[in-house]
Amino acid sequence: MEYNGGSVVAMIGKDCVAIASDLRLGQQSVGVAMNFDKVFPVNDKLYYGLPGLATDVYTLREQLRFRVNMYRMKEEREITPKTFTHLVSSTLYEKRFGPYFIEPVVAGLPSPTELDPHPKPFISTMDTIGCITTPKDFAVAGTASNKLFGVAEGLWEPDLEPEDLFETISQTLLNAVDRDALSGWGAIVHVITHDKVITRQLRARMD
Amino acid sequence: MTVQIQPQEEAVGFDFSNYARNQFLGQHMNGLPKATSTGTTIVGLKFGGGDSGEEEGVCLGADTRATAGDIVADKNCEKIHYLTPMIRCCGAGTAADTEFVTNLISSNLELHALSQGRPVRVVTAMTMLKQYLFRYQGHVGAHLVLGGVDSTGSHLFTIHAHGSTDKLPYVTMGSGSLAAMAVFESAYKPYLKREEAVALVARAIRAGIFNDLGSGSNVDVSIITKAGCETLRNYEMPNERGVKSRNYKFRRGTTAWVKENIRSLIVKEDVKITSGAGKEQPGIEPHPVPVGAGPGGEEGMDVDS
Amino acid sequence: MNAIIQNLSTPSHLPTTEEDELKGYGNLDEMGRIKGMQIPRVPDPTAFLNLYTDSMSSNPEAKIKLAHGTTTLAFRFKGGIIVAVDSRATAGSYIASGTVKKVIEINPYLLGTMAGGAADCQYWETYLGMRCRLYELRNKERISVAAASKILSNIVYGYKGRGLSMGTMICGWDKTGPALFYVDSEGQRLKGDLFSVGSGSTFAYGVLDQGYSYDLSDEEAQELGRRSIIAAGHRDAFSGNTCNLYHVRENGWEFIGNYDVSQQWYEYEAKKKAAREAASSEMAVEV
Repeated sequence: MEYNGGSVVAMIGKDCVAIASDLRLGQQSVGVAMNFDKVFPVNDKLYYGLPGLATDVYTLREQLRFRVNMYRMKEEREITPKTFTHLVSSTLYEKRFGPYFIEPVVAGLPSPTELDPHPKPFISTMDTIGCITTPKDFAVAGTASNKLFGVAEGLWEPDLEPEDLFETISQTLLNAVDRDALSGWGAIVHVITHDKVITRQLRARMD
Repeated sequence: MTVQIQPQEEAVGFDFSNYARNQFLGQHMNGLPKATSTGTTIVGLKFGGGDSGEEEGVCLGADTRATAGDIVADKNCEKIHYLTPMIRCCGAGTAADTEFVTNLISSNLELHALSQGRPVRVVTAMTMLKQYLFRYQGHVGAHLVLGGVDSTGSHLFTIHAHGSTDKLPYVTMGSGSLAAMAVFESAYKPYLKREEAVALVARAIRAGIFNDLGSGSNVDVSIITKAGCETLRNYEMPNERGVKSRNYKFRRGTTAWVKENIRSLIVKEDVKITSGAGKEQPGIEPHPVPVGAGPGGEEGMDVDS
Repeated sequence: MNAIIQNLSTPSHLPTTEEDELKGYGNLDEMGRIKGMQIPRVPDPTAFLNLYTDSMSSNPEAKIKLAHGTTTLAFRFKGGIIVAVDSRATAGSYIASGTVKKVIEINPYLLGTMAGGAADCQYWETYLGMRCRLYELRNKERISVAAASKILSNIVYGYKGRGLSMGTMICGWDKTGPALFYVDSEGQRLKGDLFSVGSGSTFAYGVLDQGYSYDLSDEEAQELGRRSIIAAGHRDAFSGNTCNLYHVRENGWEFIGNYDVSQQWYEYEAKKKAAREAASSEMAVEV
């Protein structure tokens, strides 16, 4: 975790979700890259972040890409955020006694179905061995998680519109990361709504 | 000549491939990441029967706090896990282990019920759990309180991570077990009425919530009698967060950004209104396709001409 | 038996008789020397301290975490000495402060820098200031930088192996001109033209070495010091926030300014980009 550094945060808004991460890749104290994106898309309205050991970020991302594609082919439909969370969880628990050093964060907007015409925005996190928590407000992970918990607990409020959610999640991430030596070096935010995904790279502190 | 095909050994169970690497990493970095654990208060008691004049059953209770070190990871998690329609199981210890162990055993119990054609007994669930946990010598960190009703009556067990079990009329487990047991020891008596049982379980959980730092938030209760199982999620909520009187909403445009990309999920397509395919229509100018314009046109594959 | 107990409970090398206590002022003796640090009264004080303090990351589990991430530098040039430091204090990966003063103003002619244990540097360099003042009063002239740095070096050598942690540069101007000494808690004392100390020192050296010359102008030298700290603050996770810049001249030191590392970094990037664009447009004309 502390080897490469990095943090991810996700938040629920009104008919939207946001997920944001820093862009630092370090080797202990030395910053190596400032374009290390830790948030990846699964489909149009489902994103996930993988803060933790960089080598496992790549391994797990490819593993999940494979499993999601298999799901797509077998089921002939897109995976829902909840199902994807359980997919990640069981992928992690498979390595219960030699875990990946990753704490994933999932954020997605489930598409309306006949059974559930008005699905709620969805976020979740897991620990390194796949224990799921599905908060109703925000989810945090990474080396700045303690700080993110504190800031998010103070700044988050229910039913934020996409543009307000962008400000809240950005300020939460930026301020938490500025107190963490191993996170920062740029930040990227994705706000997912039903008709668009807004991605913005923030102007962050570079020290 | 016969060719012997070695049956490929099926990959089942845990994958230890990262174990050696992590051991190395653990020595060279400061500590391995901590898993979410349920510093927990979970309890169960038997009630009814005897001179209570009520149906006998079991009542299970749990708090709803999940911790990762000194951080509260989840303020309202569910620790009463479903095993079968008439059996529930409270979990303490490593959160992922309690979750996956109960899910796995629940799945196996369902298959067992299907193959035997009758509801499974609580002892069966208990035996499957203890055998699984014993196999992993305590490394699967699940500490459980198991309760349910079957054809032989109501039953209550505790199962420890190493695989040992107890059968008792009232039990507590987790870091808050001492606080909860103090309540049970002072107030438990046999043949409680259902209402009294629920109140006592809630009181024991509250003792854990308020006196044990690893436990907190709300009280969940499950009551199982021959009539069925009733789960009272967030039966008591003694720790509701105060309402903020003002908000910290930021003015739009507070955050400076350097790059933006908006991906529209709405598919836009221009549709031209026509009233007959291929026919000449008044008021609509025909646009003849030039020869060799379509795909494969250059190879002389035009069919239109 | 009593002798053994006596030995264990009172460190024998420190004079703490009642007579001593009565003389001097505070914890100073009549000569103005420190009477002795309180040392944990255990058989092995060093092992005891190592158990609870985390000096130089030797014990990450320690309860008392000392700030150690730092970048400090100082160099001698024809216009005097440039001293530049960052301002970040970390405890583990937590940034405890971004506004630490890592240059200790010993007196109007002497500056000390802070790396390693913040308290150790602050305490002993302040104490060094007192010793320098006493020297002035006795000898009716200012102490040389060489002598001042040697006082500090001798003190910390006396505590060698007892857990002091400091890497400091003593900078000043005396009869010999600008002088710069490196002193650390291991007892090492070096005279030199250019030093950088701390976790970000390698990055600072990188910039420093490619731009350093004794004949730099004041502006060039100040810019070099600043640029080096910004580079280190950018790359090193445990350095950053702001840069404090000092210039030591013949008539004493002067505080030049406080610069935000992140803000400066963006300015340097913008300048680099502008230079690139100018270069590419020139190329276009040639072609």
